[in-house]
Parts: sequence; structure tokens; C-alpha cells
Amino acid sequence: MNQQPPKWANRFLEWFCNPELLEEIQGDLYEIFDEKLRTGPSWKARWTYIFLVVRSFRYSVIARKRNRKPLFIMTGKNFKIAFRILWKDKFNTVLNILGLSIGIASFFLMGNYVLKELSYDHFHTRKDKIYRVWLKEVYNEDKVFFNSVTPPRFERLLEEHFSEFDEVIQVNRNSYLVGEADERYNESVYIISPEFFDVFDFKILSGDPKNPLPDRNSITISSSYAIKYFGEDNPLGRLIEVQMGEEIREFKVSSVMADPPENSSISFDLAISNENNNVIFSQGAMEAWFSVSSETYVLVGDNSSIATVESGIQDVVMGYLEGRVERGQYNIGFQPLTDIHLNPGIPLGFAPVGNPDYVYILGFICVLIIAVACINYTTLAVGRSLKRYKEIGIRKIMGAHQRSLISQYLTESIAVTFLALIVGVILAVVLLPYFNQLTGANVTLAFSPTQVLMAFILMGVMGIAAGFYPAVILSGQKVTSILQGGSGRSGKNNFRRGMVVFQFLITVFLVSSTLIVKKQLNYMQSLDLGFDHNAVISVPLYPPPEARSLTDFVEGTMEKGQILKERLTQYPDIESIGMGSHVFGTPGWGNISYTDDNGAYWSYNILFVDPYYFETFGIEMTEGVAFDPESGLDKRQSIIINESAARYIGYDIAIGESLPGYNPGEHAIIGVAKDFNFESLHSEIRPLVISQSLGNIYSMVADHDYGDSPSPKLVFRYTGNQLSSIKDILDREWAAAYPGEELNFEFVEENMNFQYESEVRLNKLVTVAGILSMIIACLGLIGLAVLVTNSRTKEIGIRKIVGASVSSIFGMLVNSFAIQLVIGAIISIPFTYWLMNNWLENFAYQVNIGPVVFIVSCLISVAVALLVITFHTLRAARNNPVDALRIDG
Amino acid sequence: MKGTHIGDLEELVLLSVGSLYREAYAVNIMKVIKENSRRSPDVTSVHSVLRRLEKKGLVNSEMGGSSAERGGRRKRLFTLTTAGRAVLDDINATRTALYSKLPKLTMQGISI
Repeated sequence: MNQQPPKWANRFLEWFCNPELLEEIQGDLYEIFDEKLRTGPSWKARWTYIFLVVRSFRYSVIARKRNRKPLFIMTGKNFKIAFRILWKDKFNTVLNILGLSIGIASFFLMGNYVLKELSYDHFHTRKDKIYRVWLKEVYNEDKVFFNSVTPPRFERLLEEHFSEFDEVIQVNRNSYLVGEADERYNESVYIISPEFFDVFDFKILSGDPKNPLPDRNSITISSSYAIKYFGEDNPLGRLIEVQMGEEIREFKVSSVMADPPENSSISFDLAISNENNNVIFSQGAMEAWFSVSSETYVLVGDNSSIATVESGIQDVVMGYLEGRVERGQYNIGFQPLTDIHLNPGIPLGFAPVGNPDYVYILGFICVLIIAVACINYTTLAVGRSLKRYKEIGIRKIMGAHQRSLISQYLTESIAVTFLALIVGVILAVVLLPYFNQLTGANVTLAFSPTQVLMAFILMGVMGIAAGFYPAVILSGQKVTSILQGGSGRSGKNNFRRGMVVFQFLITVFLVSSTLIVKKQLNYMQSLDLGFDHNAVISVPLYPPPEARSLTDFVEGTMEKGQILKERLTQYPDIESIGMGSHVFGTPGWGNISYTDDNGAYWSYNILFVDPYYFETFGIEMTEGVAFDPESGLDKRQSIIINESAARYIGYDIAIGESLPGYNPGEHAIIGVAKDFNFESLHSEIRPLVISQSLGNIYSMVADHDYGDSPSPKLVFRYTGNQLSSIKDILDREWAAAYPGEELNFEFVEENMNFQYESEVRLNKLVTVAGILSMIIACLGLIGLAVLVTNSRTKEIGIRKIVGASVSSIFGMLVNSFAIQLVIGAIISIPFTYWLMNNWLENFAYQVNIGPVVFIVSCLISVAVALLVITFHTLRAARNNPVDALRIDG
Repeated sequence: MKGTHIGDLEELVLLSVGSLYREAYAVNIMKVIKENSRRSPDVTSVHSVLRRLEKKGLVNSEMGGSSAERGGRRKRLFTLTTAGRAVLDDINATRTALYSKLPKLTMQGISI
């Protein structure tokens, strides 16, 4: 029989129990065990013992007395000493605070930008229950129509068939001329379901918040538009005139809403009820399945899920479309509201979509800069440990535990981060306008409680991250080795070297990324686009009010535009006036598609022009001839295709033939234009058909899609150099040709640049980040240089006495850094290469990265770094050795 | 009662420490409480009560002699401090004072 308590229970007790308490507790338990053995069965005694061991497992038994003091006890004493030490070593402190505060400031600015991008549409209380509907028609591999804009009938369809939805909201938009006869603006007016405001959290400032759009003659306006139209007057009940088709209708302002937040995908200033749909759409369009015009949003009920809808929706669709499509061809799906802004995988609706890559890249850069700043502190603090050996030795002899030393050093680093936080926030506030101006990102710094809390958490994390390693290293020194004067610092030095390498890796990465982004942007600007957009101005024309069909819309507008064109010809500074349905720099050129009599599917972009458009943009022909302004036949029948279209069609296009199709209509190809990049360089040149009239093409077109309004624009080249005079000319002649309408004009070049806006912004941000990280890294290097030269003062003195020259000592000092810099730079190359290659895949036309970028960025970084440390090392090398050797210590 | 307030079990343990004089260690205290009251705390609760009392300065402790059934391990012996004694006196006085104020009515049937 076992007369001993269970071994494992004993071991457990010995493990967790505070050694000071172990003897008495174990003794007491043994005594009880013994007594139980004598009075009862041994299993009972063992169980009692186990039970008592488990019962002993409590905090007061576990806690070691020494442990009672928490590790991070930030007593006033600690802070007092920390500030004294910081004050004593002012140079180091300033370097540290500067580095950290630059890091914090850029973290704030960029972090806020990233947060803003991530926070899109998150302000709606029921954001997780709201989805946007998409439509994807899949007929074969090439023939896919994927749209976030849906047929208007979806609203009723979803409402009728799915009880899962609490609300189905239709959001549509149209451009109308708004305002009184003598002052009309071309405005985008949203046409929304009246329940819109029940689903989305847009704030109603005045008017009935329960029912902001009571009837079809009501209009909701934003507060900034209330000021635009009515000034300081109360807008409620006032009338706004909107030209809808031929009719001018009056809408009564029923409510004013706060301007939609910047981080809202749905953004509008004027909204009317979709009870007006019968005026806006023909009956056919209202019932259509294959023509899209409005966004549809759904609000899923609290106890329902979108999955049940997704599984049932094919049956509903087939109930309507049996015989017209096969199962699986007509797909309706749902995209979460909060997914809209950063998911380029689903096509655009009305709202622009951000590029999630850029957001993540920026977030990554933020963290990098903070890391560089923290590493700075760490390397400097480890370096400084040489100076503090004696202090540590004395403290330890006086009885300091490692824990209390760690807490002392962490107090120091947190104190530094705290100061850096204050400086950093001030910096961020001061730099905010410049940052916004530089990047075009509209960031605001809101010091909300969460942000303040986050700032303090950041401070704590940075303080601990930066200070932890030095604290452990400093406090872990053996007293004897310190007092013997030994250093045992080889391991530390390796760590410090590693840190410098890492810091430089990041810096060179940022510098070379900047150069690569720049190179790509320059490349795109220097590419021969196939047309000349220099000094070309584009003026959108207004359609005649009676325009009904697309033909009226395009051809009628061009006809009416002749008046303005005639008037402008009299000015010598205005050359080559042409008209066209699309202009370079605007995405979404018209697209037509059809199936020919062999069942093959064809899709082209389409451009309607007048004969002078080619001249304006200097588009060249490779075969055949351009449109002849004198030829009536050209106007009616002739078309021109681009080289891509010729290749796409495949056979040798003979002049005079027509496009492949079952009902080619009355058209003939008269020429092939040299390829030009009518879309941004993110994509390859697509097949394009250019025509003067719609009739000759549209007879065979099955589908068309216009991302950009096909409303013709007048384009001309301005050879003068006075911007103000062209504005005067346009103002004068516009007022004569289009009295009462608003004039808009744009430089094509500006629009072209706008296509690469996010790349330009990325470039600016990466440049700023690169410069900042370089500054921070250099601050760190200065500090290190000072420390290293100081700790080697005696060595330098002796070397000089023995006969070393200034240059050889300088070389020796620089050498100790140079290798690390070079290693860091070299390691960064493959890393950068891989990352930037990924980025370049966004473009159809990519620049070759090449070795030059890396050589230049390595040279720049190393040169700047060496330059920075040169000053100090030179001074150390030139010091009088007598002074050096006199230093006691 | 100014300063120290102690709970029910604490009071019992404190009394036992006082009454056991020089033999007061956890197992003994537990036994005394079992014999003299209707409570039977296990030894671990006595441990934690003793630690609490020591922290409050009501008892002192020192390591005492060992015995064979403890596997040669020493006991921690507790003694009452003056403060501990004062607390007990105070409790007793309060009790007696309040008790004496119970109305005579309730004492009827019991001859005094």
C-alpha cells in the first residue's frame, strides 16, 4: 500500500507554491494526509491530499513576495531619474525625440488617410445589413456583362419575391439643367426611393425627418446646395426648376440634409423621389431585363440572411426569363455596402472605387516608418549602454533587481515617446495642410476619444518596443564583469549592426520604390500615345431640348454645336476645331457589341466624330483616308477603324468592306487609323470604330454601354498663351450660342493626368515616406557615430601617437558603418524588385526596372548617410591625442 | 470599531490562535474550530485566513519545530499581537454591550 501522497500532486504544489510558503503548507498537508491514513482508507487520504493541493492553488500562495511589485511600476522616482538622465544627455535625447516624433507625425497623417479609406460607408448604423445588387450575365467566355448598375425593375422584383428584405432601395442619377432661366447649372440629380433615408444614415437637418421626400414633386437638397441656390434664406418650401426632357418641372424643397460625409460612397446634393420614374423612363425601360440604369440596395431583415436569397434567386429569375436565357446565365448577386469602396473586383456603380493595394501599401509604409524610428531609439540606447555600465554596476551593488532596472529603463523610453508624441502631434497638425495639398488626400485630424486612446496605446507600444531590448541588455550585465571593466559586448554589437542594416534596408527600399514609381510615371508621360493632346481644350455641348433618341442626342448636339464652332473660327489663336462624342482622358468610352450570322461575338469601342476631330488631335492614318468634310457619303456611311480593330477582325481588311455582321447596314470602311491610347495606360488599346453617324452602325448593334456620356464635346487647339483670354473668348461666344446655360471647359491634358492621379499621389506619399525614413535613419547614424567615436577616443589617441594619419583613422571609423549600410542596401534590392514588379502589373505598358534605379538609390542613401557621419568622425580623427588621453576613465 | 474590521472566520481563527498559545498552527487551528463551532473549514482556507491576519498585523508568526508525520517539515506557529488582542477585546465588548441591551421581555420565562 502506498503510504505517500501522490507524487504528481506534490510536484504540482512545489511548482506553483511560493517557496517561502512551501514548507509550512506541505507540512500541514502531510499531517492531514497522515491522519487520514490512520483513520480511513488510503484512497480517501490521497484524494483529500489532491483536493487540498488544488484548493491551495490560489493567488496568495502562488504570488512570490518579490513579485508583488508590478514590473512596470512607474513611480515618481523613476520618472524623476529618467528626466534627469535625458536632460544630462541632451544631444541624444533630441535625436531620439526628433526621430520618434517624425515617425509619429507621419504615422498620424498617413494613418488617418488609410483609416479614411477603410472607413468608407461605415457610418451607417445598419451597414452590415445593407447590400448593393449586381447583375452578371454570362453567355460565354468573351460575352460577359457584369454591372453594379441594374435594371430599374429590380426594386419591385426583389420586394415582391423576398420577404428577407426589409427595404429595397433604388438609387438612380441623371444630369439635368437646374435653376432659373438665366442661371442654369448642369447638375447631377439623384432619383431615389422615398424610403432611402430609413435605410441610410444621412442626416436630415430640416424638414420632416420621418418622411423627407413626401411626394413626387419634392426635392431634398444638401446644406451646401441650399446656400448655393438660396443663400442664407430658409430653403424649405422654395421651388427649384429642373428641365426634364422638354418639360421644365418645379420641385418644392421638402427637406435639407447635411452634406454627405467624405467617406460615403453614395454622395449627392439633389435628390427627388423615384415616383417620377414614369417620366424618366419609358415603359419599356421600366420593364426591361437587359438594360441597366440604376443602383439597387437592399436592407436585409434582422433575422434573415442574404444566403437564403442568393440560393433562391435563380428560380425567381427563371420564372420570368424561361426560354430567353439558360439557367446560370442571368445572375443576380449582392455586395456588402462596406465592401464597395475598396473592391475593384466588382464593377463601378456610381461611386468611384479606391485601390485597396494603395491603401495597404500606405499602411505598410506607416508601420515601416514607425519601425525605423523605434529601431533608432533601440540602437542609440544600446549604444549608450557603454556609457552607463558604471551606473548599472553601482545600482546592482546597492541591491537593485533586474526587474527594477528594466522598469527604470522602460520609464525612460516611455518618457521619450511621450515627449515625442507631443512633438509629433504638433508636427502633424502643422503639416496637415501641406500634406493634404501635396497628396490631394483630404485628411482631417479629429481628436476623438478613440484616436487619443489609440495615440496613447501607440505611445506605450512604441516605448516598450523601442526600450525593451536595451532595458534587458543593460540590466542583464553581470556586476563583476562591469566592475572588472570587461565589456562582453560582442553580442550586443551584432544586434546593433543588424538593426542598422535593417534600418537601411527600409530606407533604400523606400528610395528605390520612389524612383521606380517616378520612372513609370515618366515613361507613361513620354509614351507616344498616338495623338497630340497638347493645349487642346474640350467644351461639353448641350443637347437640343427636343432630343429623344441617342441619334438626336449625338447628331443633334453636333449640329447645334456648329453655331459655337462658327463663332470661334474668327479667333486666330483657336485652331482645328472639331467635335466628338468622347475625349481623351475620360474613361468609359462607348462600347457596342453584337453577334454575327456565324454566331461569333464582336465588341468594339465606338467614337462619333465630325471630320475635323482627327486634325485636332493629330491622329494619323495607316491605310485609306480620313473623313472628307466635303463628302456627304462619308458623313452617312463611312467608318474608320483602328489598327487593333483591324487585327481583331483578323482578315485583311480591304478598304470598302464592312464590319463582320449579319445585318451590316449601309457602311463601308474607308481607312485604318494608327493605334492611339484612348484609354489610360493601365489597359491595352482596344478595337475602336469611328463613325460620323449612328445609323450606319446601330442597325446591327445588339448591346451598347456608355460609361462616359456620349454627349459631344467641342475640341480645339489653343495657340495663344493667355489663359484668361481664352476664358473671356469662351464666355462671350458661349453666352451667344447657348444663352442661359452653364459653360464648362477642360484642358484635355489635365484630364489625362487625372487618370494617373492615384499613381501620382502614391508617388508623392512614397517620396515623403522615403525622405522621412532617410532623415530618421540619418539621425540614428549621427547618434551612433557620436557614441562610437566617443567610446573609442582613447584608441584614436593612441593610434595617432603611434603614427596613424587622420585619413586612416577616418577610414577606420567610417568603415565600421559603411559595411552595414552596404549590406542593408544590397538586401533591399530583391525585396524591392519583387514588390515593385507586382505593382507594375497594374499597367499594360510597364517600364523596365533595370539596375540603374538600385545603383542610384543605394548611392544616394549611402552617400547621404556617410556625409552625415563624416562631420563628427572627422572631428574625432583630428582631435589632439593629448586631449583624448587625458580624459579620465 | 476603528481600523480593522474582520470577518466571521477570521474572528474564529484569531480566537483559536489566542487560545492555542504556542501550539497555534494551521492544522491545530482547524481542529479547534471544528471542535468548538459548527464550522469545518479545510486547511487551505485556514492558511489564507492566517496570511490575511498576518498582513493586517493581528498575528505574528515564526517557524517552529517539526514532527515525523510532517515528513520533517517545520510548522509555522502563530501568536496573537497586541493589535489582535485589542480587536478581540473590542469585538467582545461590543457584543456584550449590545447583548445587555436586549429587552428584558425576551428574557421572560428564564429566571435570572
